[in-house]
Amino acid sequence: MKKRLRLGALALAVLLVFVYLLAETITVKVKTTSVRRDPKFYAASLATIKSGTALQKLALKNGWFQVKTKDGVTGWVHSSAIDTRKFDLTALGGAQQTQASSGEVALAAKGFNKRVEDQYRVQNAAANYAGVDKMEKFTVLPAEVEEFLKRGKLGEFGGGR
Amino acid sequence: MNARLRAVAGFAAVAAMALLSGCSAVQKGADILASQGKISEKDRAAIVGTSQALRSTFADITDEEEYYIGRAVSALILSRYKTVDDAAFTRYLNLVGMAVVYNSDRPETYGGYHFTVLDSDEVNAMAAPGGFVFVTKGLVRRCGDEETLAAILAHEVGHVAARHGLQSIKKSRLVDAFGVIGSTAASQLNSEELTKLTGLFEGALGDVLETLVGRGYDRKYEFEADELSVKFIAQTGYNPAGLAAFLTTMERDKPSGPVAGWFKTHPSPADRLTRVRAEIAALASVPAKLDIRTARFAAELERLK
Repeated sequence: MKKRLRLGALALAVLLVFVYLLAETITVKVKTTSVRRDPKFYAASLATIKSGTALQKLALKNGWFQVKTKDGVTGWVHSSAIDTRKFDLTALGGAQQTQASSGEVALAAKGFNKRVEDQYRVQNAAANYAGVDKMEKFTVLPAEVEEFLKRGKLGEFGGGR
Repeated sequence: MNARLRAVAGFAAVAAMALLSGCSAVQKGADILASQGKISEKDRAAIVGTSQALRSTFADITDEEEYYIGRAVSALILSRYKTVDDAAFTRYLNLVGMAVVYNSDRPETYGGYHFTVLDSDEVNAMAAPGGFVFVTKGLVRRCGDEETLAAILAHEVGHVAARHGLQSIKKSRLVDAFGVIGSTAASQLNSEELTKLTGLFEGALGDVLETLVGRGYDRKYEFEADELSVKFIAQTGYNPAGLAAFLTTMERDKPSGPVAGWFKTHPSPADRLTRVRAEIAALASVPAKLDIRTARFAAELERLK
């Protein structure tokens, strides 16, 4: 029991070193998002980034990562769009990739994904995927949300507290 | 001692690989170390067991997998209900929803949040994993103002942010699914594995759908979603009294005898009201309700009449 505990502690220590060494590179986990000029959703978009994109982490402030892309664009990405549990070894040596690493592709190819959905749809014709696609296609732009917040005196434009 | 140290180093290296590359690589690494006599068979088995435990619960479902589960659950909801296809009202609904989302704990999901009105007179709201939010026409009509609508959408965003839907998936199903996904070294599943995984996928979304439209969430998740609603709407700048007002009308109109729909899938409004009032009282500052928002809600509501 004691030996196992010591084993665990040592393993953890080694892990922490790994985590520390790799923490500077973070990966996008949402289908698509923006690197923004300021840490807010309706700030100007400087670059569009996709799932699997590796970014260099510069800072973390109020839930927003300040990042640098491989093209040298510096801006802000919300932490909910970032997978902090994955570390991209290939990005470490300076060879940052905009595509998912082969390991991630392998994992994605085997999870609940488009392929599983396609198979499911063959067997369940009644599921209304056309309705879901229509729902997904309907989006409001960040600039429209900003205007809506302004007119309703909400968020940073609120004064009625 | 030397052998033990080597075993420790091997274990640590394999554990680090677990974080870096996922289960199958760990299994391979442990197999290699064991075959070279660097770790014992017992340690090999323990390492493989640990690595499998790394992906075994709802928390290990990736955002992309959550999205595909959410799409399927939504496809089933939309095969039961028609939607209200009024682009102007849908736009308004999405603006209120996104205002709350931007001020929530989880503003970004794999496919983003999308809000739609179901063409039904029943009073109900549901959220599928990943951010597909549904409110019935009957529920929107019951909201007296934008603050109340925002509070209801925030409650649903709370369910998504806390991944409550995924927690209703039976654990055994997830263990089986992760087993299929992690069992092969090949990058693609073969057709037998794909069939098995699709079967598990179907079971998983059945669990979520049954919770959303049938049995309802565990009470603790409903209370948590209320708590998140109060937090998110206050952060957005809405007066959180809207949620309390809504629950008050629901308590008043509660049917006597057997209940269905919203009343069946949610804890009693009175229980929720007590907690929500306490949560509002605990806020550092409470935004005021503004006429300008109530007026625009009233104008938009005309479209649903």
